Amino acid sequence: MSHGPDGGYEFPDEIPIDAVAAGSTLLVTGPALSRTEDLALSLVASGTEPQEGSLFISTNKTAERLLDMCRQLRPAFDATRAGVIDCSGQDLGRTRFEAQVKSISTQSDLTGIGMKFSSLYESLYADARNGRVRTGLASLSSLSMYVDLRSLFQFAQTLSGRIDSAGGIGLFTLDPTTHDTQTVNTLGQVADGRIEVREADGVDGELRVRGLAGQSGDWEPFSLP
Amino acid sequence: MSADRILCVDPDDGDRAETAERIRRDLAELDPVVETAASLADAETALTTETAAVVTEYAFPDGTGLDLIRSATDVCPDAGTVLYTDTDPDTIDTSELRGSLTEYVGKGSVFGADRLTRLVRTTVESRAQASYPLPQNETERLAALQSYDLDAPGLSASLNRVTDLAAEHFDVDTASINIINDHSQDFLACYGEAQGWEPMDREDSICTFTILEDDDVMTVEDVTDDPRFESRSEGLLDLGIHAYMGANLVTASGLVIGPLCVYDDRPREFSSADEAYLKDLAALAMELIELHNRPDAEDGGWQR
Repeated sequence: MSHGPDGGYEFPDEIPIDAVAAGSTLLVTGPALSRTEDLALSLVASGTEPQEGSLFISTNKTAERLLDMCRQLRPAFDATRAGVIDCSGQDLGRTRFEAQVKSISTQSDLTGIGMKFSSLYESLYADARNGRVRTGLASLSSLSMYVDLRSLFQFAQTLSGRIDSAGGIGLFTLDPTTHDTQTVNTLGQVADGRIEVREADGVDGELRVRGLAGQSGDWEPFSLP
Repeated sequence: MSADRILCVDPDDGDRAETAERIRRDLAELDPVVETAASLADAETALTTETAAVVTEYAFPDGTGLDLIRSATDVCPDAGTVLYTDTDPDTIDTSELRGSLTEYVGKGSVFGADRLTRLVRTTVESRAQASYPLPQNETERLAALQSYDLDAPGLSASLNRVTDLAAEHFDVDTASINIINDHSQDFLACYGEAQGWEPMDREDSICTFTILEDDDVMTVEDVTDDPRFESRSEGLLDLGIHAYMGANLVTASGLVIGPLCVYDDRPREFSSADEAYLKDLAALAMELIELHNRPDAEDGGWQR
């Protein structure tokens, strides 16, 4: 796995998503019981294998828990190429991480999250091959419990703009079953496309990609460890 | 559209000049107006509604860059703000800035200046820090809007008849035809209380969401119960807006210049027939604007 001939970001073979253009932000949407968040983490964590950077904004999982999940989902995950903004509100204490970790005391401090994101992004950008960095935000639904929709839209739009200007890729998770249509549509405006996830019998789940050229658009099964 | 105004604020003369020059050079094709200020007081004086981006150091003798960002949020809410600073972000207390957002770029980064100008470009071109979405064809939409002479003789009276019809049909006290400009909402025709309304920031306007609608009509049964407007509902209620319906004025080339709106001071449902009727009236309003802008319109033959 490396980046595609057009410079797009590529994903693991067992996940049926074709390369996505640098600068894109995608919403990853699915109900809580589906493996939506696992899928998003896998797509971001897999970036360390071709020496890209992986940056996570984790709203309700500690950095330790999130990094463990990344290792389970991608055994070749290289935490030294990763960064985590831990918004769980739990004290990091003396935990030592291979990854670069910064903490925020409350999810309502969007300014603080944004500034630490910028700082970590710069750091990962410097070490990543060709400055390629993948960003995962899990989740917008969690942040929406702390701030109003307009502030959340502004925050997501700002992140998306930074990712675009740096030639990165962003994957923001959202559980549409917990929001009304206006919220989903408004947050959808920050993204170039959407990866929709649903549960399916006999497989880890099914996904389809909407709004991006060059993708099949059909429901297809995916597998995760 | 006027040139983008970018304000560079830094107490260090050398850094300030270097940053301003770098932005002028890297964003030359945008032909921005790059202004500079050495102090927060001077910077606050330089802020205008046309300011598109503010690039500021953090530490000043008279305060911090966060003070300036707060002021910018009031004066030019659509402007992007960037802290371009030597200060470690982990030492900056962001709790005082909750509700406002800013970008951060470290001066010490080997990518510093390059990252800064790319970020300023994105911020200005896509209005990345605005609190509302933009239509994908925003540039073309604004160009279409500017192509019309909205002060054409007789146009205002014609459009006022449309708002009269809308208010009468829906039995409301207030109706208007609104134009969504680059940063503001202006009123082209008004009925009732709307005649006393002043132009408003685009971020406070319901209609900035109406122009995004694929089917060119939007209803809000209760502004206090809609996540897009609930944080601004107090101001809307002060204007007597509790329920809303807007239908877009769409040009022949499919671009939206603004909506025709009716407002109710109580929560209210609108039917699909209501939506269809308002869309018909919006189409009529657009035809009137087109007709008043025809080359032969000044002859006034069709107006009578």
